[in-house]
Amino acid sequence: MTHSTRTIKQITPDQAIEKSANGEYHAVIIGSGISGAIAAKQLTAKGLNVLVLEAAPAKDLTYSGFKQYLSNYYSNASKDNNAPYPENPNAPMPRSTTISKLIPGQTDAKGYMVQNGPLALDSTYTRVTGGTTMHWEAKILRMLPEDFSIKSTYGVGLDWPISYDDLMPYYRMAEREIGVSANVEEQGFYGIKYEQDYVYPMYGLPPSYLDQVVAKGIDGAEFELSGETLTVKVRPFPQGRNGIPNPNYNDGNGFKPVGAVSAHQVEQGGRCQGNNNCVPICPVQAKYDARKTLVDAAQTGRMDFLPQAVASKVVVNPADNSIEHIQFKHYKTTQSPEYTEGKVSGKLFILATNAIENARLMLASGLPSSSGLVGKNLMDHTYLLTWGLLPEAAGTMRGTKCTSGIADFRHGKSRSKQAAFGVDIHNDGWGWATGSPFSDIEYLVDGQNKFGRDLRQGVINRVSNQLLFAFMVEQVADESNRVTVDPQYKDALGNMRPIVNYNVSDYSKAGIAFSSQASKVFYQRLGAEDHSNYSPLDYGYFNYQGEDYYFRGGNHFSGTHIMGTSAENSVVNENQQSWDHANLYLIGSGSMPTIGTSNTTLTLAALVFKTTEDIINKLSHYRIDLGNESNTNTAKEACHE
Amino acid sequence: MEQQTQNIKHFIELSGALTDFNEFALNGTGQVAAYYQTLVDIVGQQLVDNLLSTYCSVYEISINEQMFLDGLRKQILGDLKLGPVARNIIKLWYTGTWYQLPNTWRQAYGKSDNDITFFVSSASYMEGLLWHAIDANPSGAKGPGYGSWSQPPNINFDNAWQFKANYQ
Repeated sequence: MTHSTRTIKQITPDQAIEKSANGEYHAVIIGSGISGAIAAKQLTAKGLNVLVLEAAPAKDLTYSGFKQYLSNYYSNASKDNNAPYPENPNAPMPRSTTISKLIPGQTDAKGYMVQNGPLALDSTYTRVTGGTTMHWEAKILRMLPEDFSIKSTYGVGLDWPISYDDLMPYYRMAEREIGVSANVEEQGFYGIKYEQDYVYPMYGLPPSYLDQVVAKGIDGAEFELSGETLTVKVRPFPQGRNGIPNPNYNDGNGFKPVGAVSAHQVEQGGRCQGNNNCVPICPVQAKYDARKTLVDAAQTGRMDFLPQAVASKVVVNPADNSIEHIQFKHYKTTQSPEYTEGKVSGKLFILATNAIENARLMLASGLPSSSGLVGKNLMDHTYLLTWGLLPEAAGTMRGTKCTSGIADFRHGKSRSKQAAFGVDIHNDGWGWATGSPFSDIEYLVDGQNKFGRDLRQGVINRVSNQLLFAFMVEQVADESNRVTVDPQYKDALGNMRPIVNYNVSDYSKAGIAFSSQASKVFYQRLGAEDHSNYSPLDYGYFNYQGEDYYFRGGNHFSGTHIMGTSAENSVVNENQQSWDHANLYLIGSGSMPTIGTSNTTLTLAALVFKTTEDIINKLSHYRIDLGNESNTNTAKEACHE
Repeated sequence: MEQQTQNIKHFIELSGALTDFNEFALNGTGQVAAYYQTLVDIVGQQLVDNLLSTYCSVYEISINEQMFLDGLRKQILGDLKLGPVARNIIKLWYTGTWYQLPNTWRQAYGKSDNDITFFVSSASYMEGLLWHAIDANPSGAKGPGYGSWSQPPNINFDNAWQFKANYQ
């Protein structure tokens, strides 16, 4: 593939409106994040014409535009996970910097996402071309088979209408699209299985020196839980970033990593360099982001891309309850709220914004679904952070953000009583918890009155010895955690903003409490000083059974349009098709009834492959030349690679 | 101009003693001129002159390193007016960030409109000495290469500041 043409031509609102009116689009896709991009790539590869609406500008599709993100990041005094991405009042995004402790009974509307409480949720997403994959960490885990049947196995949460086996071939397709680096022999645990002779596209990333220090201390630690013995083993994570291609991939044909997106030749991003900055932006684009997939869709010539167009209303045809068109507001500049309105249509409509925005758009359109479940069952992973100082310099602050973790608490009988959790070892030290390493310099200079040699040695001891565990605790579906809208909260274009009601159940709190106990065992075994503390003044603070804790949001919004077996118990079916509106698909993590202890992106990407297969089957009557010159496999074909 | 050159020389010497990085390491960041200018712009030439002449007099009377460091602590870091400025110089070198001076200082010695917390430039972020101290790259820049993270860090003091008695 040449890099010389790897960019995307944009169309005007008038062109999109006209081509819609002429019936030229098979599908209208709202959103250019990973779900929208994969849908666009799969459908166009099969000869279908799609229109993609993106709420944000698309300057990052040029190399200089991307570099501007980096420059914003370097010079931004705040290094939060949306720091590189410019403010845009016309399509605003949540930022963790706007979160503060909620006052009981009071709504906090400071940030874009209105917080109704009782707990403040600091999770974010990124409204730019490429979506939240621009800032994601790209740790890319499959769910465990038992996660799909958590209700029937453990009596909590909701079952999926499909099983791991049903999704397995689509996991494979998603891992190819994203370009995953992992060694299959290190990943098949607790029921995770693969096709025979499965090979990941690239070899696993080497564990950090910090991982090795931690493994030496905690490998073999045993925990008795619900009559089972869980034995700890530090394991490497699969990564959505470029490593060394595995020559055995694709029956020995190998894999070509996809580097930087650019209109001109840029030899960059073919391999991770260890910039330690996956979140909020990989400076060399070795990390996968959805623009890479979007560019592939554009290459077909069958994707029309309209940026700066915010979908504002999904309009239903009352005669047959199908979607008639989607209204959008197009703005010329982020500096002004002026906009023009238009409507676009296709044979079908795919909402691929994200779990919050999909629900927001449906509710703002007056479409709560016949089940009334749109916006409800909002889930995220709740993180407990613990942080300490190792007795030796462990080389913290080097490598990708996170190379290894612990999977041994993700499964087992205890899930009937307390939330399961995964554990990440953070190569960026205490950053997430305390603002390290800058806060350490402030502490040493202003608090400890150190200077000269004493300071320099102090920096080593204080930073290179850091260890932070992030315990990613499962949250199960609960209808009272939800997204709603209200006309009193609108953005600059007059679109209603999302309002979030969020709480953490005792089930999750029990998982957090056990995480804390496991953490204490780990620090003790490592001979490390435990510096974790949870102040009642912290916005994520809570007390559980007499002990202090806090939680941080995981940016894994999901559940707001769950899939199920009927229009009564869910919003979409197993193909993410709306039960109420036959030509409408709501795709992404909003469809997940249970999220287990896996970061959601791989599973939602796999679901998009399943969905597009369904769409292609349905639309095949409309097409004559379907499925010929295609380079995109179906799940069945993918099994033979 | 002559005075400026002399001032920058003293600024480097003072910065070396405060940060424990030698002149070569400090010059190697390419940030000396930008940091000196930032300092002058925010606290004023007079205070900078005051700071550097205090440094010179501490240096001149010190016959060994211990006496010199003791003088720095008492005359500069322990001074109500010069202390916060000197600590800001340390933080500037270690992080590339100018931190807004404490409110009490601003009330007493003047508020500059430029005195806000900011990165001097995108380059200054990348040149923070803290990364050198721990043998790491600045997060988001100067990627050290695939797999380098699996080796132990090479932490050393080869480029450390060294006291030179003033009679040398």
